[in-house]
Amino acid sequence: MTQLAVAGLNKAFGKRPILSDVRLDVPEGSLTAILGPSGSGKTTLLRIIAGFEHADSGTVTIGPITVDGPGLQIPPERRRIGYVPQEGALFPHLTVAANIGFGLPPRERSGPAVAELLAAIGLTGLGERYPHQLSGGQQQRVALARALAIKPKLVLLDEPFASLDAHLRASIRAEVRDLLRAAGATALLVTHDQDEALSTADRVAVLRDGRVAQCAAPQDLYSSPADPELARFIGDANLVQGVLGDGLVDTILGKLKVAPAGLDPIPPGPVTVLVRPEQVELRPQNGSGHRPASLAGRVIAFGYHGHDAVVHVQPEPDGDAPAIIVRTPSGRRLEPGSPVCLRARGPVLAWPRAS
Amino acid sequence: MSEAQLLSGPGPAQPAPAPAGAVPPGPVPRARRARRPVTLITVASLVCAVLALPLVFLLVEADGAGTSGVLSMVFRRLTGDLVWNTVRLSLVVTFLCAVIGTGAAWCIERTDLPGRRVWEVLVIVPLAIPDFVVSFGWASLWNWVQGFKGAVLVMTLAVYPLVYLPVAASLRAADPGQEEVARSLGVGRVRTFLRITLGQAKGAILGGCLLVAMVMLAEYGAFEILGYQTFTTEIFTEFSLSFSVPAACALSLVLVALSLLVLAGEGAARGRGRISRAGGFAARKLPPRRLGRARLPVLAAFGVLTALALGVPVGSSVYWMFDGGAHAIAGASVPSALLTTASYGLAAAAADTAATLPLALLAVRHSSRVRLLLERSTYLVLAMPGVVTAFALSYFTERYGGGLLYQSAPLLVLCYAIMFFPLALVGVKASLARAPASLDDMARSLGQRRLVVLYRVTLRLAGPGLAAAFCLVFLSVVTELTATLLLIPTGVQTLASQFWAYESNLSYGQAAPFALVMIAIAALPSYVLSRFFDRSAHTQEMTT
Repeated sequence: MTQLAVAGLNKAFGKRPILSDVRLDVPEGSLTAILGPSGSGKTTLLRIIAGFEHADSGTVTIGPITVDGPGLQIPPERRRIGYVPQEGALFPHLTVAANIGFGLPPRERSGPAVAELLAAIGLTGLGERYPHQLSGGQQQRVALARALAIKPKLVLLDEPFASLDAHLRASIRAEVRDLLRAAGATALLVTHDQDEALSTADRVAVLRDGRVAQCAAPQDLYSSPADPELARFIGDANLVQGVLGDGLVDTILGKLKVAPAGLDPIPPGPVTVLVRPEQVELRPQNGSGHRPASLAGRVIAFGYHGHDAVVHVQPEPDGDAPAIIVRTPSGRRLEPGSPVCLRARGPVLAWPRAS
Repeated sequence: MSEAQLLSGPGPAQPAPAPAGAVPPGPVPRARRARRPVTLITVASLVCAVLALPLVFLLVEADGAGTSGVLSMVFRRLTGDLVWNTVRLSLVVTFLCAVIGTGAAWCIERTDLPGRRVWEVLVIVPLAIPDFVVSFGWASLWNWVQGFKGAVLVMTLAVYPLVYLPVAASLRAADPGQEEVARSLGVGRVRTFLRITLGQAKGAILGGCLLVAMVMLAEYGAFEILGYQTFTTEIFTEFSLSFSVPAACALSLVLVALSLLVLAGEGAARGRGRISRAGGFAARKLPPRRLGRARLPVLAAFGVLTALALGVPVGSSVYWMFDGGAHAIAGASVPSALLTTASYGLAAAAADTAATLPLALLAVRHSSRVRLLLERSTYLVLAMPGVVTAFALSYFTERYGGGLLYQSAPLLVLCYAIMFFPLALVGVKASLARAPASLDDMARSLGQRRLVVLYRVTLRLAGPGLAAAFCLVFLSVVTELTATLLLIPTGVQTLASQFWAYESNLSYGQAAPFALVMIAIAALPSYVLSRFFDRSAHTQEMTT
């Protein structure tokens, strides 16, 4: 069942359009991430859903109730939406317990509900502290508990991990996801960090220039992006040119099998092909020359990441071709300038290219 | 001097003037264009309309007095004399204040002067002593303290902290690295001081000087005691003794024009006084410059300054209290005058705190266009010296208002509230900046209605700052003399007016306790408040 439905949403500040015709459905109990670069309108979308801004046109529906639409704007305090902003926005003049109980009716503010939430976020005994006495991660958990306290129909998280240290981020992320699952909450997470979106969310909606470019499960988003630009946006991508014919595409990386792409088969002809770095195999060139089916090149950059290595290879002799990115499990260091052979494995994605 | 005097605490003491509502330089380029806050704008406009009353009244009065009459009064010899008197005094006092204020600030902030923390207090405290008390302290002891010479001496000692405060703040906030860089580039010690240190403080010095000039324009009591004639004393005389309304109108208009001129200069100086520093890192402290052999002379200079600015007024008051001769005339007792003063002060402070709230909310939370309009409107007040405001209100209620409110306590409170409005606004704005709008959003999303949010979040966070603004207005009322004398209801006395009555009658022994009570009430809290605003401005900078 859909818990949040956004349809045909438009918003402009002055003459500058921020959101255009945004559509988004968030299933009940799911965690959906809105992923987009800064300035793509993610925060504005979140603020409209929360009720802090009013859309120019289009509707926002939470459960069965339309909360924002033409001539209609239900104020934020009547939406029952839990909101967790980037900086946490804990009330500095209130204790942790009072922060968590802020949205509850006066009698319940010191009741068992607050104690349970404190326990759930692992801060039992710290209820009488003030926000400035907590670490960043603890503050963020309190902010989440405060949002969950009002038993929200929807939880909005606005880059909640951005201000945390990198090493904290992963663990807090997992913790937050578990808390949301345990509460059975439907949540919308805004982020510009694709790692965060792909690893945390059930579904990811990519926001580009104020539009939802694609909304899919993380794996699908990576394996079948809707267009080349999205392919480049989600993860590393080699976009090479090729000619399609006969179920195989002919590229500088060899003849590759093409993955079935949705409903419409691609007509034969010039195409853009997506080859993910881990689909490319790299071998050192030995004296006997390289096999005809593979591409010769020279290493121009080598980035070692422990679990794998990312190598940028400049194809030869065609010096103008873009460098190919290769992810290789081998940790053997390759000096820039080393000659290598590349070979790709299908199936790959292809999009028609205007010739 | 009270108005501009106390303004200096919160005002230019902030390194970057009133950055409260400005978009923080952090990575939050979020367009915040909430619904137009109609209620807030309506209330704020009403407040602005009240603020404009004195100016409107003045123009109506000038019109009623006959344009030709007023014009002929403007272009008479006396006006020229008054301009000469005022300008000449302003120039000399401002120059002396600039030297003393800047020198003291540099010694305290940048050198190893022994007892810096103590001097820091002693140097600021004279600001809280009303000018007319300083004037009384000197003139009652020595006859030669009068006229131009006397005015230069007394006013310099009374207002040099107006330069000291902003310059000290700017030296504290300035990047010490610049001096080090200059030295490393081969610039000598003295030229580094002239080019870098003074350069960094230039805006603050200029701003402080213009505040001094504003005080020179508005001061009445001190000049009256010293027998020095300026615009303000002349307006006072024309209105309350000669009952010549056209003359009072004409002089008021010229005085307002002069104030506007000074204000424009001050605005320009502030604009240039900004401190830019790359990156948000905290200011490093430069190792203090060693005074070496200059140590004793500098210490002696501070001792003399304190003795003259603080010792003489206080000592003189104490002396007269014990050796004041017979009690010559009857008047209000200290407790009863204190009670009156306190009730006026509390009423004005409450009115100002409440009235500034909508304007401050608009300024801190909403668009820059509204903010600009509001800031301009407070200029209407700043450009009206107390004597003009009081004169306009008094004459208007008598002549055109059918005597309604004329010489009543509410009118006096209204006058105070208008005069000290800009002071309260600075404080309230600074305090509201401590309650960011994101917390309001947060509270509303947790199901709290607008007014509940105001009560449970905004006012709680802004509380200490609001209290400080309240106190500032209260203290200013306590030491206000000019408007008080013009508007005080018959048969009632405040501390200042009773002091004045005794002093004018040369009953120094009876005047002295009132002076001491005013000093006691104003001095210590002013120091605490100025530190409060300085600190809050500082932390604000650190957090944005």
